[in-house]
Amino acid sequence: MKKVFVVFLLLASLVMGSVLFAQVTQIPREEAVYVAGFQWGPPTTDNPLAGSPMTFVSDPRQHIWIYETLFTWDALNGKYVPILGESYKWLDELRLEVKVNPKAYFHDGEPVTADDVVYSYKLGQKYPLGLQIWEWLEDVYKVDDHTVIFEMKPDNPNRLMVEDAIGATFILPEHIWSKVEAENNYDLTKIRQFRNENPVGSGPYKVFYESPETIILERVDNYWGNEALHGGKKPAAKYIVHPIFKSNDEGSLAFENGEVDVSQQFTPRIWEMWEEKGLPVGTWYDEIPYYMPGQMPSLWFNVNKYPLSLPEVRKAIAYSVNYARISELAMSNYSPKVQASLIMPYGGEAKYFNENLVKQYGWEYNPKEAIRILEEDLGATKGKDGIYVLPDGTRLGPFTVECPYGWTDWNASLQIVAQSARAVGIDIQTSFPDAPIAYDNRQTGNFDMTMWSPSQPGPAQPWLRFQIALYSKGVPEVGQIAYSNFGRYKNEWADQLIDMIPKVTDEKELKNLYTELDQLYREDIPMFPLMYRPQTFYQYNETYWTGWANAENPYAPPMPLVGAGMEMLWHLEPVK
Amino acid sequence: MKGFTKYFFQKLFWYLLAFFLALFLNFFLPRLIPGDPISVIVSKMMSGTVASETQERVYQSFMEEFGLDKPLPIQFFNYIGNVFRGDLGTSFSLYPLSVNEVLGNAIVWTIFLQFPAIIVGWILGNLLGAAAAYRKGVFDKTIFPVALFVNSIPYYALAIILLYFFGVYLGWFPIGGGYSRTLLPSWSWTFAIDVLHHYFLPFISIVLVTIGGQAIGMREMSIYELNTDYVTYSKMLGIKDKKIQSYVFKNAVLPQITGLAISLGTMVGGALITEIVFGYPGVGTWLFNGIRQLDYPMIQGSTLIIALMVLVANFILDMVYGLIDPRIKAVQTEEG
Repeated sequence: MKKVFVVFLLLASLVMGSVLFAQVTQIPREEAVYVAGFQWGPPTTDNPLAGSPMTFVSDPRQHIWIYETLFTWDALNGKYVPILGESYKWLDELRLEVKVNPKAYFHDGEPVTADDVVYSYKLGQKYPLGLQIWEWLEDVYKVDDHTVIFEMKPDNPNRLMVEDAIGATFILPEHIWSKVEAENNYDLTKIRQFRNENPVGSGPYKVFYESPETIILERVDNYWGNEALHGGKKPAAKYIVHPIFKSNDEGSLAFENGEVDVSQQFTPRIWEMWEEKGLPVGTWYDEIPYYMPGQMPSLWFNVNKYPLSLPEVRKAIAYSVNYARISELAMSNYSPKVQASLIMPYGGEAKYFNENLVKQYGWEYNPKEAIRILEEDLGATKGKDGIYVLPDGTRLGPFTVECPYGWTDWNASLQIVAQSARAVGIDIQTSFPDAPIAYDNRQTGNFDMTMWSPSQPGPAQPWLRFQIALYSKGVPEVGQIAYSNFGRYKNEWADQLIDMIPKVTDEKELKNLYTELDQLYREDIPMFPLMYRPQTFYQYNETYWTGWANAENPYAPPMPLVGAGMEMLWHLEPVK
Repeated sequence: MKGFTKYFFQKLFWYLLAFFLALFLNFFLPRLIPGDPISVIVSKMMSGTVASETQERVYQSFMEEFGLDKPLPIQFFNYIGNVFRGDLGTSFSLYPLSVNEVLGNAIVWTIFLQFPAIIVGWILGNLLGAAAAYRKGVFDKTIFPVALFVNSIPYYALAIILLYFFGVYLGWFPIGGGYSRTLLPSWSWTFAIDVLHHYFLPFISIVLVTIGGQAIGMREMSIYELNTDYVTYSKMLGIKDKKIQSYVFKNAVLPQITGLAISLGTMVGGALITEIVFGYPGVGTWLFNGIRQLDYPMIQGSTLIIALMVLVANFILDMVYGLIDPRIKAVQTEEG
């Protein structure tokens, strides 16, 4: 038996040895800001061209720590904040001029020039990278070292998406990436596989350490923006640490214990942390709805499936839903009252919101009205089982409504939808398959009703939301993959209006067009919002760091050290 | 030895056949799960964009990269070819990490957790079982029902009860992971203790179940041995109890070794529930994630490892028995 134990000890120490592979010193807590909620699996690559959804540095709209974009969007005022781009203006109908900040340089000291900007955008022309801008662009070219012109195709211009794109693309150093391209024979599949383990960007942080459990970024002390954008001040935090939690609960617990300073995870009943537990925790607002709304998770109908093809049936369902209950039970009251509109009554797009029309023609929770529509407008009669039957004998249900398993707030919302509908006499069942199956069903149109959020705040809103919800051109038939208009709604007038808007600059005309489009949407209701959700959740714990932005001190939008919320890095102060 | 050579090759043939069957199932079974893995990747990349050709081009480029645009039989032969080159492919859900890399890291955790636990459980179980059989009385009356009880609780229930009671309710142990996420791996006592702290609950859960099963088996075998003639004869000769106990133990433990070999062979597959419940970063966790994310290469890779371990363990066992078991030897000579 002794031998067995010796062997066991030997094996155990061998295994331990290979696990403890890296020698990293402890990060001093008072020098590090801990963030959570952006990454749920191991870091896989630092290559921004890999397009992997798991990549920590992959989303230029948010993670501008290492690589930077020209601008970043501030949803509070609907304006761009300059980063590498100093300013932008439309020269004429087709040409957008962007000035690059002449003070900007990469970590290796090379200046950021117009060439780098042109190079970065042209990568999307060369390779299928998911950079959509080339649908509308004819060319990107430099005028001088710090001026770039984006020229649109005369036959397919789109101001809104081009403006969107100048805030959504990382500017990469050409002197490094052209080598990477050449080494990989200009083959995208090979370029995507390149790990880029030591990314050289122009941002305020660089990669310090990565493991399947943690990602640590280290401050770049000679970051160009400290002088050029922040009055010579450095961020106080030497490190940004992102522990990778396995579950929401684990992350929330760490946040509550002060192990995480700022988080974008959904945390139920956040107010209890300060009201009952007296913790130094804060959110954007210190009362309902606590967070600033940013997106609209919605219920989408398959509008070609009878009887869901009848707008009256869709409207009856919209009237039946108890929105307040969804907000209260599924969303911890984080959603203000949902309105019958595709325009968000908050942030930059609120100026297009037509309150009178929404009140007059919109729906809200009203079971009696739902029943009236069913009985009077559709002539349906209630069957013995309490479910309505249309005059032609079609029973209203069972319909299924679907979203990925484990998205707890969404799952709860759909359960409330199903209960609400059954209460007025429409049979809706919930179905929560694993994400790939739910995605596949949604994209191929294999559903009765599904749940999805149309898009994020940005300069192209609310146009982009209308586009994603209503636009039929280029959307393939049921059975083939679509990435928008999942229910395959078709309306020529809507298509025309959507085509028209990106060319219009007159605000008054824009407002009219949006009003018309929104009204058309309300008549046909191919999908409807169930809640308003923040763009990213934002809650901070002031145990170690203070100076966070909030509604009383709104110097930056509520984003946890990402996007335009990066500004907070220069305002944070250690508590000690 | 001619007989054994023939026996060896016969067995080898059947094991190779089983291996190819496993390869075949590994490839086709994941593809029966409904859903399109590429559309998931593209949809995450392209969410919030407008309908366009770009999406189609991105989709196609991934289809080509993963070879999913080719007909199934060709994909299958590519897969076989890659397996024999030791390449398990690129993970879909952890793109662009290779499955080799992910599973290579994970298997260290799995073995680190399972191997000591199975060995410790096996040793303790057999000692307890033997003791119960030999001492009888109160000892037997408590150990036997407890072992039976522990052994009959479904493993996942036991794991969750342990996790809830010691992790959540008493808060003595962390509720998941291999080590604290706020800690950096290093050669330090802090880190080692943290790893052991996370190690304890999953370890103990496997030990408990193994003890239960082994103790029952060992008790029965020992009781059988205690009633044999050689024991009675030894007692009559006045041989010391200690000595007789060791004879009995040696004889009773032989079949238990088969059990040990099989548990070591199925170790990687058996880790699935432990790793999921305790959030332990091993092969089981990746297999589970792979299934949920439709990550074909990851599913194929982990099931291949599991199949290989089981086959190799059984093959070695067959060989060992072929050498030492007189009954099998007899068959070999008859045929030879």
